[in-house]
Amino acid sequence: MKKFLAILLSLAMVLSLAACGGGGGGQPVQDNKPAENQPAAPDAPAAPEGKTVKVGLICIGDENDQGYTYNFIRGKEAATEALAAKGINVEWVTKWNIGEDSGCEDANIELADEGCDLIINNSFGFEPFMLKVAPDYPEIEFIACTNQASWGDSLDNTHNAFANIYEGRYLAGVVAGMKLQQMIDEGTITADKAVIGYVGAFSFAEVISGFTSYFLGARSVCPSVTMKVQFVGSWSDATEEANAASALADMGCVMISQHSDNTTPATTAQSKGVFHTGYNNDMISVAPEASLIGTRINWAPYFEYAIESVANGESFDQDWCHGMDMDAVVMTDLNEDIAAPGTAEKLAEVEADIRSGKLQVFDTSTFTIEGKKLETAFALDTDGDFAPDSEEAVFDGAFHESYFQSAPYFALTIDGIEWLNAEFG
Amino acid sequence: MNHEKRTPLIRLAKREGLEGWKVWCIRCGSILLALLLGALVMGLTGANPVTAYGTMISGALGKKSAIRQTVKIAVPLLGCALAIAPCFKMRFWNIGAEGQITAGAVAASYFALFWADRLPSPVLLIVMGIAGAVAGGVWALIPAFFKAKWNTNETLFTLMMNYIIIGVVRWLQGGPWEGRKGSQIIPQFDSAACLPRVLGVHCGWIIVLVLVVFMHVYMNHTKHGYEIAVIGDSVNTARYAGMNVGRVMMRTMFLSGAISGVVGFIVASGANNTLYDGVAGGVGFTSITVAWLSQLNAFAMVGISAMLAVLSKGAETLQTRMAVPTSISDIITGILLFCMLGCEFFINYRLIFRKNSHKEAAKS
Repeated sequence: MKKFLAILLSLAMVLSLAACGGGGGGQPVQDNKPAENQPAAPDAPAAPEGKTVKVGLICIGDENDQGYTYNFIRGKEAATEALAAKGINVEWVTKWNIGEDSGCEDANIELADEGCDLIINNSFGFEPFMLKVAPDYPEIEFIACTNQASWGDSLDNTHNAFANIYEGRYLAGVVAGMKLQQMIDEGTITADKAVIGYVGAFSFAEVISGFTSYFLGARSVCPSVTMKVQFVGSWSDATEEANAASALADMGCVMISQHSDNTTPATTAQSKGVFHTGYNNDMISVAPEASLIGTRINWAPYFEYAIESVANGESFDQDWCHGMDMDAVVMTDLNEDIAAPGTAEKLAEVEADIRSGKLQVFDTSTFTIEGKKLETAFALDTDGDFAPDSEEAVFDGAFHESYFQSAPYFALTIDGIEWLNAEFG
Repeated sequence: MNHEKRTPLIRLAKREGLEGWKVWCIRCGSILLALLLGALVMGLTGANPVTAYGTMISGALGKKSAIRQTVKIAVPLLGCALAIAPCFKMRFWNIGAEGQITAGAVAASYFALFWADRLPSPVLLIVMGIAGAVAGGVWALIPAFFKAKWNTNETLFTLMMNYIIIGVVRWLQGGPWEGRKGSQIIPQFDSAACLPRVLGVHCGWIIVLVLVVFMHVYMNHTKHGYEIAVIGDSVNTARYAGMNVGRVMMRTMFLSGAISGVVGFIVASGANNTLYDGVAGGVGFTSITVAWLSQLNAFAMVGISAMLAVLSKGAETLQTRMAVPTSISDIITGILLFCMLGCEFFINYRLIFRKNSHKEAAKS
């Protein structure tokens, strides 16, 4: 009994000590970027208004993925810097690793209750849950990146955004095609062996649109190229992506590209002695002998535009999509050591043509579907059955991707591309 | 001499009849210790522990909308703990609640997706609930049947059943029930298939509260409950008393699975308004902790699941306001649960240290 009381007493003493000591345990950390950035931007204090916008960002992963979410964080940081120069302070509140379920609804509510003026949802599957919260907070603007409900819903405070990533894919394809043509010209491979292997996440329109534009870019400079696509059934599964890349290389693919989040296809390509072009991130550092170039969406221009609109109390586009015209799509550094000679010049030339509108990526004279030229295809689904039924996307000799809505809708299978598996459709 | 050498430094002895106030002192002490360790962890991340705990509490209970979210988190935990309780009382280690929730959600989702335009909303919801209960029950009955017939290992069996049903949901997501092609997402349910809200939270909370009363009565005041308790204490006694152990096992597992299935229906219809492979989201495992901490007492489960929900919601707010990673909060929750479960050990056993006099005797 006595012993028991003694233990109790000593425990109480330890606790009271700790309670005293706990007070100085450090400062609360606010994810408040402008405070850090202001000293770096000497012209910021000159801005008279000094408006502050509180922006919530809900991410499906965290920046450690070095891919999808990391790319958003880069956009966030660049936009913050650009806005600071305009006298707009952005206070970010970021939620990491949120699932595409009612947890996303909770995250939206929480950020709204924290007083955010603008809430950005970074994953496709977040939209339905965001839409449950948006009607309750009409004074807050909600953005669902990569999704598509906003042009059709009755809410004024919901927005979608995407970028014309197919432009970047096309350019990456040009780089790949030039490398393949160089190999053919040098006799390393025969013309019929110019095969690209593509690691895709799912047979989703965004992925299909991406690999088709990539293929068209490659074929514009290497006419004999063909492509095999292997779906891995996950947006991010490093092991499966490596396995798919490895299988494609074993099947004779001499060029690997990917629409998935990890760098393992690049490293696999290097170990298999084939080449690679990347997505979301510069992969040259992990595969210097294989990775030629990469492309990624640059979210900064959109974030800047949206946040600035909110700061000035203006409304902004409910469905935003831009490409190289606003630097919303950028290329990572070209690996000059291994790229074919003349690639940089060719790249600049094609980029200029895309910017000027002279070159249409989905020019219907450059591809066929089951041997026939594409004459008609709908862009939008208006009745909710997930099959496009409205707005003719084919006109002026090209399929107009991301024209009627930001989310990609090119989901056709063109000749020259072989789907090795489609069960993830 | 030899005898003394063999005496270990610390011995354990079962203790009985510890006074109630001492038991509660130990319990409170363990919680305080957990909070202290948690504060240490938070201090390491650079957050002020006092502010952090304050943020967690205010984040979970400070606002009406926060309380609603906390309740939403507590509902499946409570429901599933209730489901597990009779199995554990029977010493049938059902760790397949995760799968039983998912099975219930699948069956409920079938009606939500394909019968929404054919049935009026209340009927549809009742059909979904019954379908969920039957599916969850059947999913639990399978391992119980094998256990009763061939004495298979129910722990492994129920665990494996989880993976099977989650695989089925993945297939449905990417295949027959997929919405936009390639998206792997099943469309949101028609509003007729969504549980209506009462006081701002889907009415699943009313269902689980009713289940609390039901489970209390079932376990303590019915013949079934008595049979479960006897089997839990000794299977042989139960046999000797003429109970059909296999039958009781199957019956109890069906009931357990059915309640889990209803939880699956509540989560799919009330919270997510859709079905996806993470519908159970670990609830089937966390609720085991809830059930043990409550010592299988239905009313205590209300408190424990509420506490876990507060921690979980508080962790989210902690991340929002103080940029403390949610994984840190998970660690703190883990410490708390560990201490709370661990203290039961000290309530049931006492430590006996080797007497110093022995050592001195050995020296001389």
